[in-house]
Amino acid sequence: MRIHISRTGGFAGIERHAEIDTTDRPDAAEWQALADRAMSAAHTEPPTGVPDGFRYTLTVDGKTAYCSDPHLTDAQRELIDLVLKEGS
Amino acid sequence: MKETVTQPRTSSTPTTPVFCTIVPPHILGKLAEHEDPEHHEPARRTLEHDALHRTRRAGLAAQLLAPAADRADADKPNRTVYDAGHQQNLPGTKVHAESDGPSKDASVNRAHAGLGATFELYLKIYGRKSIDGAGLPLNATVHYGEKYDNAFWDGERMVFGDGDGQLFKDFTIPVDVIGHELTHGVTQYTANLDYQGQSGALNESISDVFGSLIKQYALGQSADQADWLIGADLLAAGVHGQALRSMKAPGTAYDDPKLGKDPQPATMAGYVRTADDNGGVHLNSGIPNHAFYLVASALGGKAWERAGQIWYDVLTGGHLAKNAQFADFAHLTVQAAQTRYGASGAEHEAVVKAWSTVGVTGT
Repeated sequence: MRIHISRTGGFAGIERHAEIDTTDRPDAAEWQALADRAMSAAHTEPPTGVPDGFRYTLTVDGKTAYCSDPHLTDAQRELIDLVLKEGS
Repeated sequence: MKETVTQPRTSSTPTTPVFCTIVPPHILGKLAEHEDPEHHEPARRTLEHDALHRTRRAGLAAQLLAPAADRADADKPNRTVYDAGHQQNLPGTKVHAESDGPSKDASVNRAHAGLGATFELYLKIYGRKSIDGAGLPLNATVHYGEKYDNAFWDGERMVFGDGDGQLFKDFTIPVDVIGHELTHGVTQYTANLDYQGQSGALNESISDVFGSLIKQYALGQSADQADWLIGADLLAAGVHGQALRSMKAPGTAYDDPKLGKDPQPATMAGYVRTADDNGGVHLNSGIPNHAFYLVASALGGKAWERAGQIWYDVLTGGHLAKNAQFADFAHLTVQAAQTRYGASGAEHEAVVKAWSTVGVTGT
């Protein structure tokens, strides 16, 4: 499973992108479960969000959904943090 | 579902609308918990639709209502600082009230002082009592998230991360960042510019303009002494750059292997068309930012006096539409310069010339 996160907006207006491929990972099932939870609560269109808040685009195996700070679910926050930290 | 999102209007509810698609967190939370998409998807659409209509109704109500009566002591700041404790739950724990002495936490003290500096500029120079004009208490949350590289306005408060220490330092450090965030509040209570496309870039630019003016006022600087930078003390050691944005020379604030190069345009020739960042609101704000710098530099002296007054007149004058484009804003600044300082004044000439220089026509 490929998980791509892009972060735009924010006070600095600096973009961040990261991707992770979970296929060969021993914890692939946990990634799948986390990604499913994050995606199920995300929006089909980008929400307007709050001034200077980060905007996130989540793409999991070609399916795209959106969310923005500070209104993230725990699963979205965890997935975003992990992919931006561990992804490339 | 409709009943669940219709909030009763109370005395503490703002009489002007907050940003239109902020769905209350508790509702998002409930939606997030719902496992079955068949339930949560239609519900979410309904809620968003309702939120939009609620905002429109609130906007109409705000127009019909008489101006809110001043709170007691509306000409004194009433600041409260909260600590999120590196979590992302707002507002966090209350750690500092208006009457408290200095905290041991430098972030708390900087937030308190920055709120005060912002309150003072608006009151002393523009006669505005707090961000709503009626003494609204000012709230800030510090230590939001873990090494969080951002600050934002959530519709009710300013929220600051500590920065990751590698790219960014603590977001409470630059007073212009604090002024920027609170000015989003002033915009929310006045023109309420849509945070999308050109109106969104104007919203961002107005926050940069008054953020910079708050710093210049606090330092007693004239237009030629000011650095015209946004976030000058925010970049961590080793990052190649002076700041996050430059109003004097948009596109030149930083050029760093990790951060990339400052992408802001200074004129319409470089206008960025993108779906990201609500249509590039932090990019295209460089254009009106530069126009303001040109006006302030042409007039010289203290930028908050004449240049700032013209911009403030437009923001609060009641003629700036929520979906205003650059040309609409430019036109109103030309009118405001003429109304306040006369058609043959240096102010009128400076404003016309500035918009022409950045390529915004039809003023």
